Amino acid sequence: MAEILQYIPGSGLFHQLHPGTKILFIILVSIITILTTSIAVLIALLLVLFILALAGHLFKQVIQQMVLVVFMSVILYLITIVTVPEGTIVGYLIPSFIPAIGGNLPITIDALIVGTVLTLRFAILITAFQLFVISTQPRDLVHTMERAHIPADYTLMFVIALRFIPTLQMEGKRIHEAQLARGYHPGEGFIGRIKSVAPVMVPLVSNSLARATLLGLTIDIRGYRTRKRTSLRERKMGMTDKIAIPLMAAVAIAFAYSFVMVYLS
Amino acid sequence: MITLESVSYSYPRTGREAVSDLTLDLARGECVMICGHSGSGKTTLCLAAAGILEHEYGGKKAGRIVVAGKDVRDYRDLSDISSNVGILFDDPDSQLIFTTVEEEILSALERRGFSAEEVEERLARVLEITQLTSLKDRPPHALSGGQKQRVVLATTLALGTDILILDEPTSELDEQGTENIVSLLKDLKAQGKTILLVEHKYRKMADLVDRLVILEDGKIRNEGIPATVLEDEAARRILIPDFSGIRNGCVKKGGATPVIHTEGLTFSYGEGDALSEVSLDIYPGEFVAIVGENGSGKTTLVKHFIGLLRPGKGTVMVDGKNASTAPVATLAHSVGLVFQNPDHMFFADSVFDEVAFGVDNLGIPDREKVVSNALSSVRLSEARDLYPRWLSRGERQRLAIACVLAMQPAVLVLDEPTTGLDGSESREIIEILKQLQEKGHTIIMITHSREIAEECAARVVRMEHGRIISDICRGEGE
Repeated sequence: MAEILQYIPGSGLFHQLHPGTKILFIILVSIITILTTSIAVLIALLLVLFILALAGHLFKQVIQQMVLVVFMSVILYLITIVTVPEGTIVGYLIPSFIPAIGGNLPITIDALIVGTVLTLRFAILITAFQLFVISTQPRDLVHTMERAHIPADYTLMFVIALRFIPTLQMEGKRIHEAQLARGYHPGEGFIGRIKSVAPVMVPLVSNSLARATLLGLTIDIRGYRTRKRTSLRERKMGMTDKIAIPLMAAVAIAFAYSFVMVYLS
Repeated sequence: MITLESVSYSYPRTGREAVSDLTLDLARGECVMICGHSGSGKTTLCLAAAGILEHEYGGKKAGRIVVAGKDVRDYRDLSDISSNVGILFDDPDSQLIFTTVEEEILSALERRGFSAEEVEERLARVLEITQLTSLKDRPPHALSGGQKQRVVLATTLALGTDILILDEPTSELDEQGTENIVSLLKDLKAQGKTILLVEHKYRKMADLVDRLVILEDGKIRNEGIPATVLEDEAARRILIPDFSGIRNGCVKKGGATPVIHTEGLTFSYGEGDALSEVSLDIYPGEFVAIVGENGSGKTTLVKHFIGLLRPGKGTVMVDGKNASTAPVATLAHSVGLVFQNPDHMFFADSVFDEVAFGVDNLGIPDREKVVSNALSSVRLSEARDLYPRWLSRGERQRLAIACVLAMQPAVLVLDEPTTGLDGSESREIIEILKQLQEKGHTIIMITHSREIAEECAARVVRMEHGRIISDICRGEGE
């Protein structure tokens, strides 16, 4: 089974970076991605991420995730086509040769541009976040966040969510099999689909909720809320960090400068 | 080391006492084993003794609990108590927070005020005694149930507390795994640790246990040294399952067509063969046990009978249908598969609706009668309007059987049907299976307990590394 967002042990570029540096990296990438509307900048950024993934020996994992991006991009394009009907029309979603309903839902250049920008943004954010998560040991992440005085509850919530993704995938599969053995067949049509979710989702959610109490007790017993941690196997900023941080600062300044310039003109 | 004085407790929003008037005293170095039916209050007793009820739960409390010479109310919080008491809950998955075995154990150690060197040293030692060193970089989802239990035990032992409270530490383990844990616990006891143990496998633990406590409806039914407790017939049946009179003779085949026929069945999940060259014929009306250690291919084999897995090589015929190609829904008319964990199937609001789900899916007529019959076969007629998840583990296991039974399959396959059940509950399940066999069903039971297999089934098929290594049919007949 494909593992979604799970830490992969390694020693590549991203593994060498301090979790703090990686958090700064994510913040920088997110800000640039959200503020810019230039397709060229976005493509360049995505390429940079791909090159970094390649350098960090994580390219395969990143490419696997692109299936999700393609799926999302189709939805994003459809939404923009429906919501941006003004502009130069290049075609119709429903071809005009179909009688009666043909020629509806015009596809405009503006819609295509917006769709492309959204897709690229989505791809960049997913890739950056994935690079961060699969190269960072959850323990290091918890420690870094603790240093930044973020309460353990929030960090653990995040770590536990990641940890349970594969467990829930597996459990979902088992429940699905158990229901198949009872002659369950996913229904037809929209209502049928919705109804057919219950036999799998109800046991999955009920079992997870039953687990939550024990999980909470375990966290308390280990002293996460109340006790100080022994300083142990600390991650130190290394050479890679010392190069990466000034580099990111330069990129941030350059971007801020050009952004302000564009804004002023 | 642990003293309970007239402890009673009711969970919030329930009128009923989960445990009532419990008085119990554990001396240093003593191992006390708690037994009883599912739902008799064993887990609640553990939570009480660990001070968890006092600090984390609402509900009605009475009595006094003293742990390591101090009233539990006088401890600051759970992490304070846990410096003296190591507790292990029964569901390993909910005690694994991190993504590798090593991180998990470190997380238990690094907030204890130990020095960095001491943390590293304890980590190495506990990995060694729990035989986890080679698994230290594995994520939890890549571990088997038994390995997860070992990791959770390691996090508990790492702290080196004098008191251990262990709630079913071997439920997911096979015979070999259980023996390893028992010998580990013996060592710990020899070091002077006090152990409160909830378990069903008394026969495996007899050497370890100093005193037995049998709970019934939240009260102590028996308490004393094993020899005394075992004198009581009912207590004995809880501790040591008695399957006498269950096993029938071998079924006469006499030229009958097998209801399940596999030939050269080979299957792989990716790396290595999970099943290789399995050829097996099972005849109508047989009671067959498939035994083997965890990972020997038992579950993989039976999933082929209902089309959840399709053979890589070889053939599987079920009731005259080709199970390599027939849809699962078609095969479900012939084979009913009851999975190990009943909680993987319950979603309806009442026991009746739960059973009716399969009946409706297959379009079986006379729904009301079919469901009622299935419920009465598993002795759950009274529970028909209850919410399935409120039932005890033993009742849920029986409900799972009813759900599949109501679909009227010729063959019933059960994966570890006695997990988490005491001796008399196990006997009840097996009795139900025997009655179904007498009504003409073919019964196939997967178990890793050699005792249960040999005492209950006329035919025992043993598997190892994806192969059948022996197939013995005993008693009259052929």
